[in-house]
Amino acid sequence: MSKITTIEPFTKGFVEAFSPELILFTGMLLLILVPNLGKGTFRIPGTQLRLPWLMGGTRFKFSSDPRLPAWIASITLGSAFLNVLYVFSQGLDRVLIVSESGKELFLINGFSRIFEMIFFGALALAAFSSMNRLQVKGIGSKVSENELYNNRRQADFYILMVTCALGMSVVALAQDLFVLFIGLELASFSTYVLVAFLKESKVGVESGMKYFIVGSVASGVGLYGLSMLYLWAGSLQFSVLAATFAVSGTTALPMIGIGFVLVGFGFKVSAAPFHFAAPDAYAGAMSPVAGVLATASKAMGMLGLVRMLLIVAAPESTDGSAVWLVCLGVMAAVTMTWGNLAALGSDNPKRMLAYSSVAHAGYMLAALTAVGAWNWDAAVAGDASAAAVAVMTALLFHLVVLVAFKLGAFLVLSILESEGGASRLSSLGGLAKREPLLAVAMFIFMISLAGVPPMAGFLSKLLVIMGIVRVAVGDMGAEITDGGIYALGDMHWVWWLALLMVLNSAISVFYYLRVVVVMFFDEPEEGREGPLPRGWQVRVAILACVLTTVLVGVAGDSLIRICEMAAQSLNYNW
Amino acid sequence: MDDWISMPLVGFPLIASIVLLAFVSNTNESMRRRLANPIRMATLVFSLVLLVITTGMFFQYFGNVSWEGISFNNYEFLHRYSWMESLGIHWSVGMDALSFPMVWLTTFLLPVTIIATWNEKNGATYFPILLAMGGALIGVFVSLDLFMFYVFWELTLIPMFFLILMWGGADRKYASQKFFIYTFTASVVMLLGLITLYFFQDPVNPLDYAGSMTGRTFDIPTITQHALMENSNGNWYLGTNIQKILFAMLMLGFLVKLPAVPFHTWLPDAHVQAPTGGSMLLAGVMLKMGAYGMFRLPISLFPHALEYFQLALLIIGMVSLVWGAIVCLGQTNLKKMVAYSSVSHMGVILVGIATMQPMGWAAALFMMFAHGIISPMLFAVCGAFKHHYHSMEIGAMRGMAKHSPWLATSMMFAWMASLGLPLLAGFVAEIMMFIALWYFLAAEGWSVFWMVGPALVLAVTAAYYLWSMQRTIFEGGDETQPPSSLHGEPVPDIANPEKLAMLILAFFTIVFGVMPWIALDMMHDWTIQIFEGLILPVLGNFKGGA
Repeated sequence: MSKITTIEPFTKGFVEAFSPELILFTGMLLLILVPNLGKGTFRIPGTQLRLPWLMGGTRFKFSSDPRLPAWIASITLGSAFLNVLYVFSQGLDRVLIVSESGKELFLINGFSRIFEMIFFGALALAAFSSMNRLQVKGIGSKVSENELYNNRRQADFYILMVTCALGMSVVALAQDLFVLFIGLELASFSTYVLVAFLKESKVGVESGMKYFIVGSVASGVGLYGLSMLYLWAGSLQFSVLAATFAVSGTTALPMIGIGFVLVGFGFKVSAAPFHFAAPDAYAGAMSPVAGVLATASKAMGMLGLVRMLLIVAAPESTDGSAVWLVCLGVMAAVTMTWGNLAALGSDNPKRMLAYSSVAHAGYMLAALTAVGAWNWDAAVAGDASAAAVAVMTALLFHLVVLVAFKLGAFLVLSILESEGGASRLSSLGGLAKREPLLAVAMFIFMISLAGVPPMAGFLSKLLVIMGIVRVAVGDMGAEITDGGIYALGDMHWVWWLALLMVLNSAISVFYYLRVVVVMFFDEPEEGREGPLPRGWQVRVAILACVLTTVLVGVAGDSLIRICEMAAQSLNYNW
Repeated sequence: MDDWISMPLVGFPLIASIVLLAFVSNTNESMRRRLANPIRMATLVFSLVLLVITTGMFFQYFGNVSWEGISFNNYEFLHRYSWMESLGIHWSVGMDALSFPMVWLTTFLLPVTIIATWNEKNGATYFPILLAMGGALIGVFVSLDLFMFYVFWELTLIPMFFLILMWGGADRKYASQKFFIYTFTASVVMLLGLITLYFFQDPVNPLDYAGSMTGRTFDIPTITQHALMENSNGNWYLGTNIQKILFAMLMLGFLVKLPAVPFHTWLPDAHVQAPTGGSMLLAGVMLKMGAYGMFRLPISLFPHALEYFQLALLIIGMVSLVWGAIVCLGQTNLKKMVAYSSVSHMGVILVGIATMQPMGWAAALFMMFAHGIISPMLFAVCGAFKHHYHSMEIGAMRGMAKHSPWLATSMMFAWMASLGLPLLAGFVAEIMMFIALWYFLAAEGWSVFWMVGPALVLAVTAAYYLWSMQRTIFEGGDETQPPSSLHGEPVPDIANPEKLAMLILAFFTIVFGVMPWIALDMMHDWTIQIFEGLILPVLGNFKGGA
């Protein structure tokens, strides 16, 4: 439990505390400047003197290299990730950045740091693996590797990746609704453009439009909710809102406001019924971008929900569970079931992964519901805040490992995409014969998504179920030892969410296995018998995902500890 | 280096198969064909090493461990390493007389399966997968940690799924998925039961090996110890309602795996489509995971609930016994008939458990073991039939005795062993189950009509086996009818490796039929220990005598 340091922007200690964001900012500037370096000259007016000022003109060899933006972006995001990791290994310092008038702007603690790790890790992997492989003429267009290589639009793509990371990390740090909204919109707008990046293809434009329209409506509704909260509390500070909520939280105005905010973030995590744009967006976007939507962007939405529901509309410590409990529980149940059932019927692997991501959102919402129930009965709830920490740990762990296997699955699809599309399940046909290791990687991602041991996905699902059951059971074990008599109905009803979750993961096995069967059983599609497109970067990224999935699955203890540390820093506000 | 279980028995087969598979997947098609033979030899040698280790354990060569006299909830070769400290997860291995016969059986079947399916296609990947299957199965039987148990429980699905998908019959795509999804669904319900059990532990009690985050433990001996203390205080461990619920949730996972009617529908599909090697391990060991799990967890933890559900289990067992046998009569597919006969035999195990007699439990344990030797032979025969005649239909080939004497003899022997011919291993288990059931009925004062079902099954079993033999081996006489699927080729007999595998299996069927005490002694001792250590202190007395 470290001491809090309060600093103002651009004073002593600011650079250390804010270093990942500053790295990103520098990277963004480099991405704008470096690819434009050339032999351009500037004539001093009235003279014939031409001063080389390096902007424009014929570009140098290094600055015209199409791989350059990807390298800059990958190194930027990767070093931001390593920076956060280093900070974690050094022990966490808690830093609160306040404005001159004393308004809290950013809080840097374990909780925000772990989200930064998720964002930077996912985006770094996506940027690195799409290096030199951007589609020129839309998904599925057959292009030579030379054409891929010479795509001139690379710089835009990677600038957007970096701004997306910047926006997300602002959301992670924000202690003020206004700051939060700015970060949210920065990240959202970057993803809107990234989804619609393949403007030449119909499906790219369509998905981009859908995602943008639905997303902006959701943002608008969320913003309306924020303004209602401002109307009610007179402040946008989390600390003020939380204090006001504890006094008069159950009145109509904040309830409606928080409901609207829930819509805004519900869209980001693609919770039912706000998930309709997600399958279209995932299917139309490039696979690495879809992977980012399913991991980093979803983590950002989860983060917003946690901030709103657990910090602002916190469960009352005196009278049981949170006001939003039933609403969120129903939403979780509907989301996971809907996602799984819809995934059963989709033949497009990317749509299937999108619906599976909806289902995973449902699992995470179930965990969040359990956090809301942590104080349900003073007699048997037991050490309630420890239970809340356990569930939050599970939630964070799930978000972290999701990056490995969800993004990994999208990266495998991206290889197929650059050879002529991956919009049908049969595109995966015969992958085991064409490139066995890739098929094995996809198999590992699939069973990890389904929650089969010994993969990371099993451990994360186990942790979530354990967290829920822990909240539901509470201290009953000790009470029974003392002679108490309890029945199934005495457990909190969130236990049934755990049951629904395990049944849902049984349903989900069906569509994950279908992918495996196609890869190992079916023959390749017509014209796809040959070797897969080259590209060592994407394969290295997939290998990193596989190793993380397996190693965390069999030895996840240290990651659990890190997540526990982060969860504690949220729960006990240190 | 005295940890004979977790390193050589569990770790090495898994690691070796992963290394071999990783090596093979980097080679091209022709290289893989050339590699098939060395890899086959390597896996055979490796599985023989495992067999030598477990046999050495039996003869007290390693660790000087006697398998008799191990009191309830005590384990030999016990080793425990911290795995995930935050949740109280340990790599915890050990064996008692319940698990050791299963471990030996697995290591025994592994080389036999490799020999019996010597010429399987794509050998370079097939044999390592068999090895992985063996490692995962041993892991299930030796793990003494709920988490580890569940991990290996599910891990067995993956190699079996690939065995069915890659080497199975025409409908393998459907069968492999059905197998995976069906058993996975049951196990996730079991998982929720395990986790609920985990959190119902009292963290105030100083628990050994508890997790730092939760204060609870996954350690099976510790949990069993606490359950035993609570249960023998006159209370139900965790209270009546919770105990019944948890018992039912755990049992669901095990009943599906066993499988018992009405959860048996995955088995015929999986068996008919699975390759011979897959079927042999599936029927030989994997089904026994269900019975093993019942003894290890729900029965050891919740004896009150067992008593409460006794009638239900008895009825499920009876129905499986009778239904499995009657369905066999109607089968025209040889392998499907054998698969349903497995359902029937698993019913014997369940009835044996439901009698709650020491002899009934010993019968169940011996049935697990005997069926583990006989059913692989049944499936080896079916596999040879399919391999050489390209057909599975009963009656496709008539007068087999004349053309394929080896296959006919093996078939006859296996069929006789399975229908419970005296002096063969299956008979011992069945007769013990009958005696236990008699004891039970007499003690309860129940109607003798309960015996009608099992008695009927004896006749029906003999009927379907003899009838199928009549239609394949003997009928036809002089004008034999070679199967049309051979397209006029000469009728072959089985190959040498198959003969060797049949001989080994037949030899051990006779050994354990004539001298059942080799294995039965330790099983009987285990039931005595569990009755003295658990059932008598908890339930006061058990009905009947023996």
